[in-house]
Amino acid sequence: MTDVSFIDVIVRFIFVAVVITAVFLISARSLPFLLQTYRLQSLLLAVLAGVFSFVDGSTILLWVAALTVVSKVLVIPYFIEEIQERISIRRDLEFRYLAPASSILVSIVLFIGVYLSLGNILSSTYAQARPMFFFGAVIGISLMLMGMLVIFSRRDAITKVLGYLSMENGVLLFGICVTELPFIMDVTIMIDLIILVILTTILTVGIDSTIEAYEEKIRQYSLWTVREDAL
Amino acid sequence: MILLAYPLIAVAAIIGFILIPSRRILHLLAAVESAAILVVTGILILTVPLPATGIGPGSGFFFADLFGVFLVAVSGVVFFFASLYAGGYTERLMETGELKPSRLRLFYIGLALLQLFVTLAFFADNLGLFWILVELTTVFSALLVAILAARENIDAALKYIFTVSTATLFSFAGVIFIFETARSTLGEGTLTWTVLMQHASSFPPTLLFAAFVFLFIGFAAKSGIFPFHTWLPDAHAKAPSAVSAILSGALLNVGIYGIIRAFALVHQTAFAEKISLILIVSGLLSVGVAAFAMLYQTNLKKLIAFSSIENMGLLPLGIGVGSPLALFWVVIHMLAHSLTKASLFLSAGVLHRQYRSPDPGADDQIVDVFDLQPSAAWGVIVGTLAIAGTPPFPIFYTKFFLLTQVATVSPWLLAATLLLLMIAVAGMARFLIHEFSARSDASAQKPRRYVVPLGMRLPFVLLIAIITVQGLWFPVQEVSVFSQIVAGLGFGGV
Repeated sequence: MTDVSFIDVIVRFIFVAVVITAVFLISARSLPFLLQTYRLQSLLLAVLAGVFSFVDGSTILLWVAALTVVSKVLVIPYFIEEIQERISIRRDLEFRYLAPASSILVSIVLFIGVYLSLGNILSSTYAQARPMFFFGAVIGISLMLMGMLVIFSRRDAITKVLGYLSMENGVLLFGICVTELPFIMDVTIMIDLIILVILTTILTVGIDSTIEAYEEKIRQYSLWTVREDAL
Repeated sequence: MILLAYPLIAVAAIIGFILIPSRRILHLLAAVESAAILVVTGILILTVPLPATGIGPGSGFFFADLFGVFLVAVSGVVFFFASLYAGGYTERLMETGELKPSRLRLFYIGLALLQLFVTLAFFADNLGLFWILVELTTVFSALLVAILAARENIDAALKYIFTVSTATLFSFAGVIFIFETARSTLGEGTLTWTVLMQHASSFPPTLLFAAFVFLFIGFAAKSGIFPFHTWLPDAHAKAPSAVSAILSGALLNVGIYGIIRAFALVHQTAFAEKISLILIVSGLLSVGVAAFAMLYQTNLKKLIAFSSIENMGLLPLGIGVGSPLALFWVVIHMLAHSLTKASLFLSAGVLHRQYRSPDPGADDQIVDVFDLQPSAAWGVIVGTLAIAGTPPFPIFYTKFFLLTQVATVSPWLLAATLLLLMIAVAGMARFLIHEFSARSDASAQKPRRYVVPLGMRLPFVLLIAIITVQGLWFPVQEVSVFSQIVAGLGFGGV
């Protein structure tokens, strides 16, 4: 029993920490800090998947944890870091529609809304029987909505990418807590994420510069091969 | 295993796009590739009895039914004409310096992959597989929007990716819901359409309702339905016209296809009425938003893009009505809209080439259109008449019969829809009368005529010919195909 309650404490701690990272993603202005926050959020989810796999004895969740660490703690943040350094944007000060304080207020409302509506939908299966998983599902959907807030309230495309990535973390959390998806689905969404991050960051390089400078940057960093001579 | 022919053709073409040095042959290869895909689809229709499983690798991943194959054929036709058109169009883009010659290969590779993913999406039997294919079509079409590398294009592409991909992530949550719904009833989770369709009536309706709402968010964004339509006018207007034709003629159908498939599941439960209400409201609002935006539109491609939102809005209205007849006309409207809209974008593309303003943010200044580009001008006029729903074009029938179905729900709904459709028509008429009657200033220098290559003129002329024939001639066999599609989706006989 001590084991179970200890695990309960860990899971609770992870949930709270995930919510805190989401709040930082909405309000922070420094891009390197935002990136580290995303990294931490992903790591927390990987640990959560690991803990659940320990409890359920599910190898799939262990694979999910490993995949999350490799892709979302290491590879994707590294790629974005490289891009950030190259385009030398350090801070994203511009907010549209919502300033950070009101964003956080909106998030709280969203949180309660998700809690109530998900309670209605999942009540028979989850809310009473597995309160911890139910709470995880609520945080998952809320995290998605908070990520969406980041996408709509930030101007800088790189911050939008981080919002999208955080949304996907929400989907992952929701997926882990609600059901046991086939592992192939986790791989699928990861492939989507990687392609999307690559494309949007390449386009972002362009949006912060003139076309000539953009072409120059593309060539300089060999983001995609330019073969003008071939034609 | 006939399905493997599609990726094989795409891979062969991509190798060609990378290796072949001559631009002329690159253009030809693109047209040949899309023609080959049409041929494979033709062979599949003639040789494989539908519905069929086991046509591709793995079990439960791919299947072919009439609905899917029908949309594969429609998008195949759109891709073929767009690829034929792309040769002349991209040459002109390179002449004016809008497209770097080095990007031509990337353009054609992107086009080939986009067609592959669109085609496979219609064959996907697994909802998860369908999801990733939908997402890939977004990514690769956004790449084609951004290919011109003008700031406006990159802006439009990013807006497109962020809006649609964000919404598509919600539909992933819908996929999770579906999986859990199946698991809670069947004991084992599944994402296979055919299995889900068999058991949908026994699924817990609340869970299925939640799943539909999440799926709908993603698919509605994909097909430009209110309130997720905001990306569409920019992306469709800024993309090279060959790509605009594909975005409107082939890609919007992918989202509607997803909505229809998901509705076919939820239609079997007690929550069907609630879902119908969501569909009808979002459909009506889409038509409304588009109609008012069209009223004072000054940019031809944007006008056509808003008309896509208007026409897409009609589809959830019809799906929401949910009767077999409504679904019958929804499916035909998808066909008619795809071909008509593709022809409109292709002819509008010629006018855009002629009148493009040096400032990429400004609208084209159309003058002396009947002297300079008579065929494209008539293409736009006939296309507009067709899309507005004038007889004898097929959209006249689809709009008319969809409206009669809408009337069965409520006469007020009919009145509102009819009024909004008339506003949209007024917007198109105002634009054409105003812009096409403009003459150049007598003292100013006349613009030089852009000589349109045959490869660009033929596609829109042929598309108009096809829709005219379709409007005049609706053979019994075709009626039977559409009836079978509706019955196959579980909506009953027409």
